[in-house]
Order: sequence, then structure tokens, then C-alpha cells
Amino acid sequence: MNITLNKIMPFPLASIQHGEASIWGREIFLEGGKKIMLNAASGKGKSTFTHTIFGLRTDYDGTLLYDTTDVRKYTPEDWTKIRREKISVVFQDLQLFHNLTVRENLLLKNSLSDVYSEAELKNFLAETGIENKWNDKCGILSMGQQQRVAIIRALCQPFDWLILDEPFSHLDKVNSAICMRLINERCDQLKAGFVLTTLGDDYDFTYDQELIL
Amino acid sequence: MLSKLLFRNQDKKQLIIAMIGSFLGMTFLIASIHYLIKVNEFGEGADILGPNTIIVQKQVTTSSTLNLVKTDFSVAEIEKLKKEKFILDVKPVISNNFDVLFATADPLVPKFSSDVFIQTVDKDFLDVKSTEWHWKEGDTIVPIILPRDFLVMLNTFMSASGIPQISDELAKDIKFKLRLSNENSEKEHIHARIIGFTNEVPSILVPESFMKYGNDKYGNLTPQKITQLMISGTESEFGKVEEMLKEKHLESKNSQMVVGRLKSIVGTLILVVLVISIIAVFVSCLVLIQYAQLLITKNAYEVRTLMRLGYAPQQLVNRFFIYFMKIFALISAIGLGLFLGLKFFLDQVFADGGIYIGTELSFYSIGSLLLAFLLFAVASYSNARKGIFKEF
Repeated sequence: MNITLNKIMPFPLASIQHGEASIWGREIFLEGGKKIMLNAASGKGKSTFTHTIFGLRTDYDGTLLYDTTDVRKYTPEDWTKIRREKISVVFQDLQLFHNLTVRENLLLKNSLSDVYSEAELKNFLAETGIENKWNDKCGILSMGQQQRVAIIRALCQPFDWLILDEPFSHLDKVNSAICMRLINERCDQLKAGFVLTTLGDDYDFTYDQELIL
Repeated sequence: MLSKLLFRNQDKKQLIIAMIGSFLGMTFLIASIHYLIKVNEFGEGADILGPNTIIVQKQVTTSSTLNLVKTDFSVAEIEKLKKEKFILDVKPVISNNFDVLFATADPLVPKFSSDVFIQTVDKDFLDVKSTEWHWKEGDTIVPIILPRDFLVMLNTFMSASGIPQISDELAKDIKFKLRLSNENSEKEHIHARIIGFTNEVPSILVPESFMKYGNDKYGNLTPQKITQLMISGTESEFGKVEEMLKEKHLESKNSQMVVGRLKSIVGTLILVVLVISIIAVFVSCLVLIQYAQLLITKNAYEVRTLMRLGYAPQQLVNRFFIYFMKIFALISAIGLGLFLGLKFFLDQVFADGGIYIGTELSFYSIGSLLLAFLLFAVASYSNARKGIFKEF
């Protein structure tokens, strides 16, 4: 699935002066399967970008197209299907359920499409160094641990695009690299692309495209 | 897991209070509808006269005996009665204008005969099948309705003759005959068959066509006076009928009034309980709906996040809807159970007091439960849908 931002200008950012290279107000084409880094300083609209792409915000001028369809035409049922099969997201605030355990958080997502077994999910946790947190409530995990759970949860579904909103902001270099590897492998497996928003760090990864806000 | 996420962390105090209010309201709602219907059915079918029907006549006083006051009803008086809101119909009771002899005509029964008084009333006032209650010239048998007191008298005679007494059903199989005659010695015999009994009319009732035939053929030429009227009143308004009778110096057999008055009083009381029950159910349902709203609002983050993860809004609507329907089903089941227990007790109380009302469940009380369930389902579904889609 290709995504086209056709002169998108979110209303809250309309009064801000954007650089010539900024994606806001321009025609931007995100080709399916490409790995893209979106680099921007704080307050430039990274989360706005994530929420707009994901259909959570409609307060913008311009048109957003999934292939050739204007997303404004989608019904709640269409969005449900898209969020199950086409686009997965790691939100900046993670949006985990703090009262549920890591296991429950992951199974809640995984049960929608049953892509992984519990053993495979545990294996993901082991790879990211939090295998002992399986039965711990998410609310008592550190931010770094929570970020790893949120990343694994986002991988538990089929998708064409993975949108990652500052996913490694609380991770050290080693864990960021491990997570980056898991993300890359999953995208390759699904022939999917991703957009990773960052404050400037490229996490030693070679991207197909770099965008600026 | 979804249920754990959405329903585990809730303050159930308000829910329990609303549930108690609902099931108490529900119990009283079913009970009041049930007893309202049963009390209205009370007394029906016991007499061949239709329900809420009485025969009235003018009070006989010294003045009327001295012919100073008329005891018959004029057409204007009848029309005036008909205009009363609480009166459904008024019809004159027509009497015989010729001589009638009632006699047994059965070889198995000893001979018995007596001069009698026959009357006829409009068939709309009688609780009999129209196929049984008809007569036309040439028919050899005339159907009759016998005053129960007459049967008692007949039984006394039987007993004195050393013959076993007869029941209502057996009396219907005995052959009788009526002899119609006049002052000119003209006479005619016709067979009669009892089709029912009445406690309220003191004379033998015959079909209108038979009375007309007798009056035309054997009656004297004096125009008949209407001294009795049959009145049917509206349900639960017998108090007004009684008031009117007093005001117009009319009288009726007291037993008829007692049942009507009793039904009016009990019916009104139950109606008050019914209104209170409806209000209680309504308020409790509102509290439940409000609780559902509060629960969705408290879970706004969970609902929103689940939809972002790919859960369909309709799936979440169904979860909330089913959860509250289960609660209401539980309330209804407890309410119904409590009602059945209460009914067992109340039926006993009524029976001890000599009021034998029907014990079978009334369709309307169960219907009211289903209606309340349906209304709650509609309100609950629309509330859940509104709350969930707001978070989309």
C-alpha cells in the first residue's frame, strides 16, 4: 500500500513557518515497502504526523491517500480493518494497559490475528531482555521496558506500514539496535515499510528515504 | 481478557444499589399487574349476568305505595342515565303481561308447578352463548335462566318428597314446561330447558323473542311499565354508580354492589402500587443506564486504545450491551422469583379471606417483564453505541 500526503497542513501547525524540505504543505509519496526516517525537532509535528497517517486526526487541509483512496471516505469499519491488517503503530505514549500484565497486553493484540504463539511472544521478550516480565503488570515496568513491550505488540499483526513515534526514546544503544533488528526483520518478512520518527538519531540504520518536518 | 480490562475495575456500590432498586421495582410491577388483572377477573363467570351489571329499580316508599310518586322509568329518565360517563349501557327489563305456570315435565321428577314471573333482558347483558339463547315461533323448547333461589326451593320440595336433591348441572337435564295463558282462557304449553342460573335476577329469564311472542299473543292491552333497568357500568367505577343510585333514589341488590365496590377499591389500590412500581423501575433503569455511561467514560482510555489496536467499535458496543443485559436478566430473574414467592403468600392470604382469585400466572404480568426487558435493551444498546463511537 502506498501513502500520499497531498499538501497536508494540520491546522495547529498552519501558523508555524516550515522549511522548504518539510513534508507539511507538500506532496509526499511514501512507497510501500520503503524504510523511512522522519527527522524533526520537538514540536514540529511528529506525533501529529503519526496520528494523521493513522486516521486519528482529521483537522488538516489537503488530502491523505491510501493508494488512491482519500482516507476521509473510510468508515469506522474500514478503519478497523486497516488497523488490523494494514498499519501498525508504536505511539509515543505507548498506550499500554497498565492494569494488565505484559502477557495480557500482548495477547490482547495478538488474539485479533493470531500471528504468534505464546512461546514466540516470550521469545521476543527474551530477545529484548525482558523475558522475566511476562507476568508483571505493565504499570510497574520502567519506560524502557514498556517501550519494548509496545514495539513487540506492534509486531503482532500483519501490516503494510509500521509507524514508530520515537520508539527508542528510553532505550540504550544496545537495546535500540536489538529492537531495530526485530522491526527490520518483521518488515522484511511482511514486505512492509516503516516510518520511524526521531529527534535526529539514525540508530545506525540505513534508510531508503529520509523526511524532514 | 477484554472483560477483565473493561469491567474489573469498577465501583460496584452504585451498581448494586441500582440492581436492588430495579429488582424490587420489577417485583412490584409484575405483582401489581398480576393482581390488578386477577382482581378484575374476580367474580366473572360466577353469574350469567355480564360483569359490572346490576338491575336497579326505584325505591318503594310510602309515597309510591299511595301512588304519589311513580316507580316506573320514563324514556327521558333512561336517556339521562345513558349519558352518565361511567355507564356503558342501560336497557329496560321487560316483564310478562300474561299468566305463566312453570311445571316439571319429566317422568323421573315428581310433579311440581307454580305460577311464576318471567322477565327478559337484552342479550348483551348476559354471559351466554348466542347459539343457546334464542327462540323463534315454532320452536318447541324455550331456553330459560333460573334464579338460583328457585333451585333451592325446588330442592327443598325434592327433599320433602324423598327424592335426592339436584345439582346445577343435573337441573339442566330435567325437562320443564311453561304454560302461557290469559284471562280469555287461551293457553299454550311449551317445553323449557334451563341453560344457566343467576343470583341477581329474582325471576325466570326468557329470550326477548319469546317474551314478545307471549305478550303479543296472550298479553292484555295495557301498556307495560318499565319498573326495572339493567345497567352496565365501566370497570373500577362502581363507586360512582353507587353514588348515582343514592342520588336518584334507586336501589339495587346489595351483593352486586359489594363485589363492584370491592373491585373498585382493591383495583384503585393496586393501580397506585402499579404506578409507583413503574416509576421505581424507570428510575432504577435510569440509574443503571447512567452507571453504564459512567463505566464507558471511566474506560474511555481502554476503549479508545482497543479501537486503535484494531478492535471493532461494534464489538465493544456488544460487550457493554451484553454485560448490562446479563445484569438486567439477573434482576428480572430475581424479581420474578421474588414475585412467585410473594404470589404464593398473597394467594394464601386472599384464599384465607374467602377471595378465590385465579392462581395461574397472567400473561400481562410476564408481558410487562418482557416489555421492561425490551425497553432496557433498546436504551442500553443505544447508550453503549453512543458512548463507544464517541471515543472512535
